[in-house]
Amino acid sequence: MILLKKLIAAAVLLPGLALASEATFPLDQAPDYTKDMAALQNGARLFVNYCLSCHSASSMRYNRLKDIGLSEEQIKNNLLFTSDKVGDMMTVAMSGKDAKAWFGAEPPDLSVIARAKASEAGSGPDWLYTYLRTFYKDDTRPTGWNNLVFPNVGMPHVLWELQGVRTAKFEEVKNPHEEGKTEHKFVGFQQVTPGTLTPVQYDKAVADLVSYMTWMAEPAQTTRKRIGVWVLLFLGVCIVLTWRLNASYWKDVR
Amino acid sequence: MSFQEKQLPADASFGDKALNWIDARFPLSSTWKAHLSEYYAPKNFNFLYVFGSLALLVLVIQIVTGIFLVMHYKPDANLAFASVEYIMRDVPWGWLVRYMHSTGASAFFIVVYIHMLRGLLYGSYRKPRELVWLFGVGIFLCLMAEAFFGYLLPWGQMSYWGAQVIVNLFGAIPFIGPDLSLWIRGDYVVSDATLNRFFAFHVIAIPLVLIGLVVAHIVALHEVGSSNPDGVEIKNTLDERGVPLDGIPFHPYYSVHDIFIVTIFLLIFTAVVFFAPEMGGYFLEYNNFVPANPLKTPPHIAPVWYFTPFYSILRATTSDFVYWLQAGVAAYVALIILRSRLAKTCKIAAAVIGLLVIVGMFIFDAKFWGVVLMGVSVMIMFALPWLDTSPVKSIRYRPDWHKYIYIVFGIAFIVLGYLGVQPPTAVGTAIAQVCTFLYFGFFLLMPWWSAMGTFKQVPDRVVYHPH
Amino acid sequence: MSNEKQVDSGRRGLLVATCAAGGVAGLATTGVLVSTLQPSERAKAAGAPVEVDISGMAPGEQRTVEWRGKPVWIIKRTPEQVAALPKHDGELADPESKRTQFSTTPDYAMNEWRSRNKDILVLVGICPHLGCSPSSRFQAGPQPSLPDDWQGGFLCPCHGSTFDLAGRVYKNKPSPDNLQVPPYMFEGDTKLVIGKDEKGEAKA
Repeated sequence: MILLKKLIAAAVLLPGLALASEATFPLDQAPDYTKDMAALQNGARLFVNYCLSCHSASSMRYNRLKDIGLSEEQIKNNLLFTSDKVGDMMTVAMSGKDAKAWFGAEPPDLSVIARAKASEAGSGPDWLYTYLRTFYKDDTRPTGWNNLVFPNVGMPHVLWELQGVRTAKFEEVKNPHEEGKTEHKFVGFQQVTPGTLTPVQYDKAVADLVSYMTWMAEPAQTTRKRIGVWVLLFLGVCIVLTWRLNASYWKDVR
Repeated sequence: MSFQEKQLPADASFGDKALNWIDARFPLSSTWKAHLSEYYAPKNFNFLYVFGSLALLVLVIQIVTGIFLVMHYKPDANLAFASVEYIMRDVPWGWLVRYMHSTGASAFFIVVYIHMLRGLLYGSYRKPRELVWLFGVGIFLCLMAEAFFGYLLPWGQMSYWGAQVIVNLFGAIPFIGPDLSLWIRGDYVVSDATLNRFFAFHVIAIPLVLIGLVVAHIVALHEVGSSNPDGVEIKNTLDERGVPLDGIPFHPYYSVHDIFIVTIFLLIFTAVVFFAPEMGGYFLEYNNFVPANPLKTPPHIAPVWYFTPFYSILRATTSDFVYWLQAGVAAYVALIILRSRLAKTCKIAAAVIGLLVIVGMFIFDAKFWGVVLMGVSVMIMFALPWLDTSPVKSIRYRPDWHKYIYIVFGIAFIVLGYLGVQPPTAVGTAIAQVCTFLYFGFFLLMPWWSAMGTFKQVPDRVVYHPH
Repeated sequence: MSNEKQVDSGRRGLLVATCAAGGVAGLATTGVLVSTLQPSERAKAAGAPVEVDISGMAPGEQRTVEWRGKPVWIIKRTPEQVAALPKHDGELADPESKRTQFSTTPDYAMNEWRSRNKDILVLVGICPHLGCSPSSRFQAGPQPSLPDDWQGGFLCPCHGSTFDLAGRVYKNKPSPDNLQVPPYMFEGDTKLVIGKDEKGEAKA
């Protein structure tokens, strides 16, 4: 019995072990605009203009953007590179080899990035939302930029014109895990030059972009949830029917 | 005996005549009777007894969705990942078929684990049903292989590295290991060659074996008749027609009952499919949305949740732990020699094997013994019918303290599973090592503990409360 | 004992209702699975209309483009070739393109030239007989496998069907139908779009 109690106690305390591992930058919760067509369309525009020069989204077909309320004409006129057709995938002109030479790493395909970045620290959108808002100027890096969520990332701050230039302030504080050692702790940003958007506007723009990427990672999600409600209701009816049918047979069993 | 076709009266319906024609040439009606309308199952089945039917349902779901997925999936290292996204986006309703298949895989293991738990609690594996159990463990092994091969197919980071790690486990086998791994992979690392052969195993080889084993499992069961939560043999008490007094025909009573439970199961299943297909990263792992990269290992590789209890045992087997294992083996051999009633030859064999294992544990790496222990943790299930020496089948009539042994075993299994998902830590490994001993102790000491204590009187007739 | 014969009317009702619900579920599931075989977005995108620049085509020139995996011919006919078209209506199996078994000729091609304007002819280069691609025989006059009064057109190498310069099949040839005119339209003077017309994109 005592052994049993010890085991139960151990089982309950185990989750604490998980948190003791890597310390990642705490993630902000990404606002969810995946049901807001205007936000998704804005996100699509930002995505095509800022991301597709280096990243591909090779599983995403341009004409699927009709699902977020864009017409084929709007897609053709505003979002397509001149050589693409509306039925084509969002591929990138830059080759992987060139990218690796210029940035140190091949920019990953972004088709399902919003699903891939989930972890115990937060959801995929949370990661993307925080990542795109924590770039800071760092002249020790080849691109001149560094990032709090992804330290020493090869990607420059493509949205810098919108957010403006910021530097990050760090302090040396005692390392809580190791005696006698200090660690770099982030304490705040300093705005050096303003961007074309205010901080609130920038956060909204990033939220739109992240919501677009969340939608793009699984375009079927809106249909999925909508149909799901009906399927569950139908099954609920089936449960009642089969339950009474079952009871009608089993009342004969003594 | 010459061919006899039953003569029906001239005014018999066309349907009756057609059935008669078939029955003279094919055991259609006789099979229907033997396995459904006149297969008498105990009337006191409880909720745990529905999981066999559910397992059959999930098998059908996996096969049907699998067929439609194979129409679009490309088993090529360069095309596989993109072909899954093609199914998710470009194939009409492809996303639904994919989610049904991925949810079905996890559902299969949940259902099968509960199904096995039922067998454990009620002694369903006891004589004369040992063969049903053996076929069942065979099905479980095939299911694990099927899931393992299938998991490589999406060609994500977890697919790739999970396969790499498990195939390298075979490399731990002394002498033949590295060559064996090379042969399994068909290449120096997991590659396109590996993907293609795993595809062949997953799509055709193992499903055929699975179907064969499931048929054998059910035929073996029907041959001796189902057991029940009281462990009472209903065939001991027959009425004047030879029908068990406590039996009811499977059809319509259990067919209708199972359909009711199926709708509840489908509600839960479709709730997951439509609203939580990733299930927090347990059913569809986050890292698998990153295409496989042979040059970059993810920081944390874990097998899918249903393998983690056994994976935990593998990881718990550190070099230090091997010393504990040696002590355990020695103690067990001593127990067999001093406290069992096995024949002299068996005791000598046990001593020799024990000695060889202990010596082997000095010679070969802990890595190898981890693989062995993991393998034994599954294979030991085959021995269950012969390890259980209890005079009663069902836990209902066992001494109360036996219940705690089952609870401890269950908690150890779940704790092992939980630890397998987490990254390894010093404390976690220690707990896993304790649970490993508990897991093996449950089985290996069963010949002794299962016969100890005051057993309750098993009734002649089942305990049934009308609905 | 007598109860056994009377099936509970409540039970029968539930049986009917449950079977109906099960039937609905079965049909829905079958519908979903069967529709996965329909052309995917990738197939539909690959089958999208094809744009062709026809500026600079010389009279008598033929170009071939691919649309939905099939060859589509664009031929700039000479005035003589156009003038010769009505003269041999009597030798043709379906001079007015009335047959619809193989394909329905679009409204804008239901004329002497089987095209929107006289000089540009657009045809799917697949013989309606068994699917081979006919070869061009624009040269008039006697030639092997062709009659002495040959006015120019197409000859299918597989089984010998002959077609005139409006894609119409001659009588007593293996092919019972004329060559298909695909949906097409002009966008401006020099751009031809194959696979689309006023009614929208081609369906099947």
